[in-house]
Amino acid sequence: MNVDVEALIREAGTAGPGRIRAAARLMTIAEGGSGAAVNVLGKLAGAPEPRLVLGLTGSPGSGKSSLVDRLLQHCRAENPDSHIGVIAVDPSSPYSNGAFLGDRVRMMRHAGDPNIFIRSAATRGHIGGLAAGVFGMLKVMGLAGCDMVLIETVGVGQMEIEIESLADLVLIVLAPGQGDAMQFQKAGLMEAGDVFVVNKGDCAGAAEFHAQLMASLRLIDHDRKQRGPDAVRLVSAREDHGIAELLDYLERLRDTEAARWLARRRTRLGTHLRAAVLELAQRRLEAEWSGLAESDPVERVLRGETALADLAGELLRRAVLDNT
Amino acid sequence: MASSIAFAPQHPPIRILIGKVGLDGHDRGAKYVAHILRDAGYEVIYTGIRRAPEEIAEAAVQEDVSVVGLSFLSGAHIALFRRVIEQLRRRCAGQVVLVGGGTIPPDDVRTLKSMGVAEVFTPGTSARTIVDRIGQLLDNRQVA
Ligand code: B12
Ligand SMILES: Nc1nc2c(ncn2[C@@H]2O[C@H](COP(=O)(O)OP(=O)(O)O)[C@@H](O)[C@H]2O)c(=O)[nH]1
Ligand SMILES: [Mg+2]
Repeated sequence: MNVDVEALIREAGTAGPGRIRAAARLMTIAEGGSGAAVNVLGKLAGAPEPRLVLGLTGSPGSGKSSLVDRLLQHCRAENPDSHIGVIAVDPSSPYSNGAFLGDRVRMMRHAGDPNIFIRSAATRGHIGGLAAGVFGMLKVMGLAGCDMVLIETVGVGQMEIEIESLADLVLIVLAPGQGDAMQFQKAGLMEAGDVFVVNKGDCAGAAEFHAQLMASLRLIDHDRKQRGPDAVRLVSAREDHGIAELLDYLERLRDTEAARWLARRRTRLGTHLRAAVLELAQRRLEAEWSGLAESDPVERVLRGETALADLAGELLRRAVLDNT
Repeated sequence: MASSIAFAPQHPPIRILIGKVGLDGHDRGAKYVAHILRDAGYEVIYTGIRRAPEEIAEAAVQEDVSVVGLSFLSGAHIALFRRVIEQLRRRCAGQVVLVGGGTIPPDDVRTLKSMGVAEVFTPGTSARTIVDRIGQLLDNRQVA
């Protein structure tokens, strides 16, 4: 299939009837992980960026999607002109590569809102709580004019902290009945969060859970994020309690922290650039390797004609030089 | 980052939207179909019940799906399918493959097909038949 990426980028960046469709197609390409994806990313380098990127993580069922739904509702009520993007990640099946992407069900009331762009993504084998294409999707959301983007991770365990490398602010969503104070003290998830949201405030045990969490956070001696007591929130997505206040708090954080976040985005760009280089090298190496069938480099090493390390250097040079 | 499962980036999974329009609350069939399609390797975006035609069409565009599948056990399939098709066209997404299922009488199956619905699956259709037929429709589309 021949796609005109430049035309899609033009269309996605201008107000018009085809904007959403073009942006959606670009996301598919960015998500596809082929040479075309790298091409799209390259062309989006200078695109406008969202003002605020929020990450939401936490165990399945804690209420991340419901919270996103409420945050959207309040944001849109307060800023009628704002454009908001949502990237909701769910796991791919390791057996079939298929996925059941159901986060949208909780957000469907916004499906008719032309200022809200919701995109579901499957992890496609990527480990770390996100999908491999999320960085590219985020860029496309910026291009399409989103001021704010909410990223919901799969959130399965304590090590799913990759979201920190993409979001300005990470919200850890918790719910009563999901572990005790001991678990808060384990490293990983609790250290990645900027804001802790205890959801399901309408359920029994929520207030106690909130109090326990406040206490255990004080126990993390060197809190490198210097989170104040305001950083632990008690809300109910179901009853719409505490959401407006949470949003207020996030906006205040943005005002005071904006400069630091921008600096962090620059650092992150370096990380993503290095990852892109490795990916490119990998693909070129694969191409080079398949062309080497008859000279059988493994045989050369086995016969002792060349050292593995020397041959590796030679292959890298050839892969990079021959394929530019 | 490392990948733990075999996934060929040359062939990213095809995306399908499964949803229900109108007041009909029978969602067993839709969820069943969503799961068999996932197990067949598709990425299935499930919208849940009681969606408006506009919502289905907008979701289909944002999610850039290749197939939209709707389930009807209410009897309102013709009117509602027509409105969904209209909304898809309005968003320049008229070329997605449309499929439907549920309690749909044979005469209505013919009417739906004449409106552009590629296939209709009635109660009792096996998972195999559904998966094979959708695969076929997608293959035909790629040739066309
Ligand atoms: C179970 C059932 C219920 C359950 C629903 C549970 C649920 N959450 O789904 C309950 C008890 C709640 C219920 C309630 C009602 N029901 Co009822 N219900 C049924 C029943 C017995 C089986 C439906 C079912 O789940 N089948 C199993 C699934 C797997 O099959 P399926 O949906 O047909 O899907 C298959 C295919 O059709 C196809 N398919 C379906 N959709 C799609 C979509 C795509 C994309 C694809 C590819 C394929 C596909 O693939 C599936 C596998 O083969 C049917 C009878 C029947 N013959 O269908 C009546 C039936 C659907 N119900 C009926 C009625 C009238 C009602 C009520 C209005 C009754 C009342 N007066 O209160 C309420 C309304 C509920 C509501 N809110 O809409 C009527 C509908 C008549 C009509 N079409 O006009 C039926 C046909 C019974 C009858 N003969 O009168 N119902
Ligand atoms: N009681 C209560 N239930 C909630 C609340 N928020 C979400 N839920 C329910 O928790 C379940 C999981 O919610 P979901 O948003 O899908 O969680 P996610 O998996 O973290 O995205 C659903 O059944 C919701 O209805 C809340 O504030 N109170
Ligand atoms: Mg969710």
